[in-house]
Amino acid sequence: MPETKSRSANRNVVIIGGGHNGLVTAFYLAKAGFKPLVLERRGQTGGAAITEEFHPGFRCSTLAHAAGPLRPDIVRDMQLEKHGLKMIMPEVEVTSLTPDGRALTLYRDTEKSCQEIAKFSQKDATKYPQFQSSLAKMGRVIGKALTLAPPDIDNPTSGDLWGMLNTGRSIRKLGRRDMYRLLRWGPMAVADLVAEYFETELLRATIAARGIFGTFLGPWSAGSSLVLLIRAAGDEHPAGSCWFAAGGMGAVTQAMASAAQQAGAEIRTGAEVIEVRVKDGAASGVVLSNGEEISARAVISNADPKRTLLKLVDPAHLSPDFVMKLQHYRMPGTVAKVNLALSGLPRFTALGDEINGVLSGRIHIGPEIDYLERAFDESKYGNFSRQPYLEVTIPSLTDPALAPEGKHVMSIYMQYAPYKLKDSDWEKQRVALGDTVVKTLAQYAPGLPSQILTHQIITPQDLEDTYGLTGGHIFHGELSLDQFFTMRPLLDWARYRTPIENLYLCGSGTHPGTGLTGGSGANAAREILKDLKK
Amino acid sequence: MPSNSKYDAIIIGGGHNGLTTAAYLARAGKKVLVLERRHVLGGAAVTEEVFPGFKFSVCSYVVSLLRPEIIRDLDLPRHGLEILPLDGTFTPMPSGDYLWRVNDHGKTHREIARHSKVDAEAYDEFGKAMQAMCRFVKPILSMVPPDPATLNPKELMKLLFIGRRFQGMTSEDKYNQVQLMTMSAIDFLDQWFETDVLKATMSASGIIGTFLGVRSPGTAYVLLHHYMGEIDGAFRSWGFARGGTGAISNAIADAAREAGAEIRTKAAIAQIIVKNGKAKGVVLADGDEIYADIISSSVDPRLTFTKLIEAGTLPGEFLEEVNRYKFRGSSGKVNLALDALPNFKCMPGPGAHLRGAISISPSVEYMEKAYDDAKYGNFSRRPYIDMVIPTLTDPSVAPPGKHIMSCFVQYAPYKLRPGLNWDEQKEAFGDNVINTIAEYAPNIKDIILHRQVVTPLDLEREFGLSEGNIFQGELSLEQLFFLRPVPGWAQFRTPIKNLYMCGSATHPGGGIMGGPGRLAALEILKDFKGAA
Repeated sequence: MPETKSRSANRNVVIIGGGHNGLVTAFYLAKAGFKPLVLERRGQTGGAAITEEFHPGFRCSTLAHAAGPLRPDIVRDMQLEKHGLKMIMPEVEVTSLTPDGRALTLYRDTEKSCQEIAKFSQKDATKYPQFQSSLAKMGRVIGKALTLAPPDIDNPTSGDLWGMLNTGRSIRKLGRRDMYRLLRWGPMAVADLVAEYFETELLRATIAARGIFGTFLGPWSAGSSLVLLIRAAGDEHPAGSCWFAAGGMGAVTQAMASAAQQAGAEIRTGAEVIEVRVKDGAASGVVLSNGEEISARAVISNADPKRTLLKLVDPAHLSPDFVMKLQHYRMPGTVAKVNLALSGLPRFTALGDEINGVLSGRIHIGPEIDYLERAFDESKYGNFSRQPYLEVTIPSLTDPALAPEGKHVMSIYMQYAPYKLKDSDWEKQRVALGDTVVKTLAQYAPGLPSQILTHQIITPQDLEDTYGLTGGHIFHGELSLDQFFTMRPLLDWARYRTPIENLYLCGSGTHPGTGLTGGSGANAAREILKDLKK
Repeated sequence: MPSNSKYDAIIIGGGHNGLTTAAYLARAGKKVLVLERRHVLGGAAVTEEVFPGFKFSVCSYVVSLLRPEIIRDLDLPRHGLEILPLDGTFTPMPSGDYLWRVNDHGKTHREIARHSKVDAEAYDEFGKAMQAMCRFVKPILSMVPPDPATLNPKELMKLLFIGRRFQGMTSEDKYNQVQLMTMSAIDFLDQWFETDVLKATMSASGIIGTFLGVRSPGTAYVLLHHYMGEIDGAFRSWGFARGGTGAISNAIADAAREAGAEIRTKAAIAQIIVKNGKAKGVVLADGDEIYADIISSSVDPRLTFTKLIEAGTLPGEFLEEVNRYKFRGSSGKVNLALDALPNFKCMPGPGAHLRGAISISPSVEYMEKAYDDAKYGNFSRRPYIDMVIPTLTDPSVAPPGKHIMSCFVQYAPYKLRPGLNWDEQKEAFGDNVINTIAEYAPNIKDIILHRQVVTPLDLEREFGLSEGNIFQGELSLEQLFFLRPVPGWAQFRTPIKNLYMCGSATHPGGGIMGGPGRLAALEILKDFKGAA
């Protein structure tokens, strides 16, 4: 009997944090016959992909309001539909507005998008599909790299070599022209990239936004094209399409939780890990805030790399050099979130009353490249943008259950809101932030302020304090060339392992680490299983 | 190649790279003709007596130390090249303080310690780390970029060579290298230093010649060149040429002539003669036709391929890439003839601090704000200025007792915002520079005898630098190595047979290093051999 006990103990794995990546990892480990225990600090799982009632009768995706999109193989493996996930894919991807009352709508259907673009420029309408097919081609290549565990540069394993060879081959398949494009685009400024294809400022800005969302980059920052490419790997549509979940993003993680549980994972909420126990250089378990100790064969952290290795682990177990490098891992948050409960559907000047569903996708506020760059400029000096770039959704249009009949919820990502404010703090600026967002929107929908029943303001400080995102960075660290692939989070430590044996990372702070895709969690599970099965 | 034409090679443009190519080809026994549009040789590496008695290094003003192999191969000292040391960088601050780094290690250490003890320690470590990085990059600067898009084993070996070198590094060096190639100058320096003025001044070398700010990713790697003997890109370095920068070009020209090269000035070229896909010769502005087996152009790709080549000759795809190649001049020059020396508030009177570079880069925010102005089509209200007073080291370039002060100014965007043009803004730009300097050296306005303002537009018109880019094209990651100047055409050859490129628009890029000119010559000679 004790023997079987020890054998079962030998299968115990603790996962710190029940965000979407943690749940994906839990699922794959459980499926492989291990006993993952997911410990979530908050009262509910989901991390940054949650739905909460923020006003009686009004529910909203508190943070993430659109999916990555999810990696299809993960959706399939976890059978998320069977676990209650219903994706909503409005045919409208994004509608961009200008203060002077013009609107550009891009559709999932490329032809339809071109018709819209043609109203601005025939030339751009012909270029749009070319741009999309280039993105698609490169996306397929990058997509391959995103599903890989970054290779070990010094002594690549046979698996690494195979993966690289595979990617290498698909790069060759690109052909000379697109291959050089790939090399050239990576380090480019997205403003230059879109200017190479399009002349319509509104279209340029709409696409460029995809290269800066959630980053501490402006459209003129070198490397912002890479961010666009990484995102295009999951979804070739130039401006990115729009994936909602019925019931909000929380429904995604609920389905994942249920899939993980059915596979045999245990999930405990309200269980805050305050320390990772390390014995002779190896993780042996965790300590909860209530003093309870849980021993485990492996500890996997869904929390960001800094929180995991600088807060939960006693630095004494790490080399000063490693600690120093990790301290330099850049994760300065730049976004804030404002959720509004509305007494009715706001009327946008540019659209009049002929809406025809164009509001059902994302609404892009940021009419010009320079507008976006100016918004960025202010954040460089520690101020939040007075004329911010906004990504708005009204999920209640496609999912009426989120709000009482006839009423609506509006979810707004505000950028740039730098985590570190110059001579002020976010508690002092919270109200000003909300006002700025509403004022900005009022330029496009004058009636909006009078329709607001309540608003929920989430500052970068809240993102850190409430949701555990160090620096308030929604992607667990900047998506930049120096923090990507074999460098995410650190060179030599990009393979989900850490200098502490049996301690692993599976969150967005690991490759590929882009939005709500589950990629990091799935890659991590695959690597971790290699070790666990030894 | 059957040699039935008068020359083996015609070099378009008598800049330092064109002359270097000419010298190498001539020394290999080729009959070479160099054609320069202006009345004087040197291109942007030129000395001109703009005002009686005052010999200005009009554009490039300090020597980014030439590749040693070129100095050696061409025996330049014998041809009159004499490099005088430029010691240190002096950064005045509005607070009345200053940062003064010199070549004397002990002094610099104490000076930095005055601002931050931690930084003083880090400074030494930083220097060591940079040296390690240089060891990795140097051979890359002197190699012909590989073509990653072919399966040609020769090319793959080059890539493998680089990969191996990278693998060979310690993980510490790898870490730094990766960061250097991708990060912004400030993000990188932030990891080492806390003193704002130190970071600001060091970051300056990361932006020169680019339309980027010190916070723009990709600017870190240019810092590296600051630590290399050979500087690719960064204007700043540690030497003057006696007699001004033009003396370098003259020495190279002398070496070329001695080897038998023929050099003509005031010989503008109207067109490159191309017959069935092969370059045959050139037509001069005056209608003369000169034929040669090969043509090598040291002028930038835009001029070479869209002005000198008849439309319809080149494949559209190639031209598309040429048009995509970014120039975006971002800097100007203000050259001053002075009656006396400037007097700095923070360190009054003459002294050694005036013998080195004087850098107006008081804070990181100052540098970044200067960039912000330029992004929206204005010259920086308060620009980054790099000043040198060559007369303190080389009195020969000015009348006795008088001085020359050369001010490199960034940002001065070639494309001003709608409604503004450089012809109208020229003097305002000059005034703004003087006013900026006056904030640190108030007497400057009283000691100016003459002023020459060089705007990006002047650089384009007078020196043939498209959009006034001092490096014949932005030194941004997507325009370097095998992507410079055109992806797939980084090996000095062009889609037109027998037509080559040998200017700063090719690897390893701008700055007075002669790298492109030399590498191009070596490739051209390979083809000569292949054809023989």
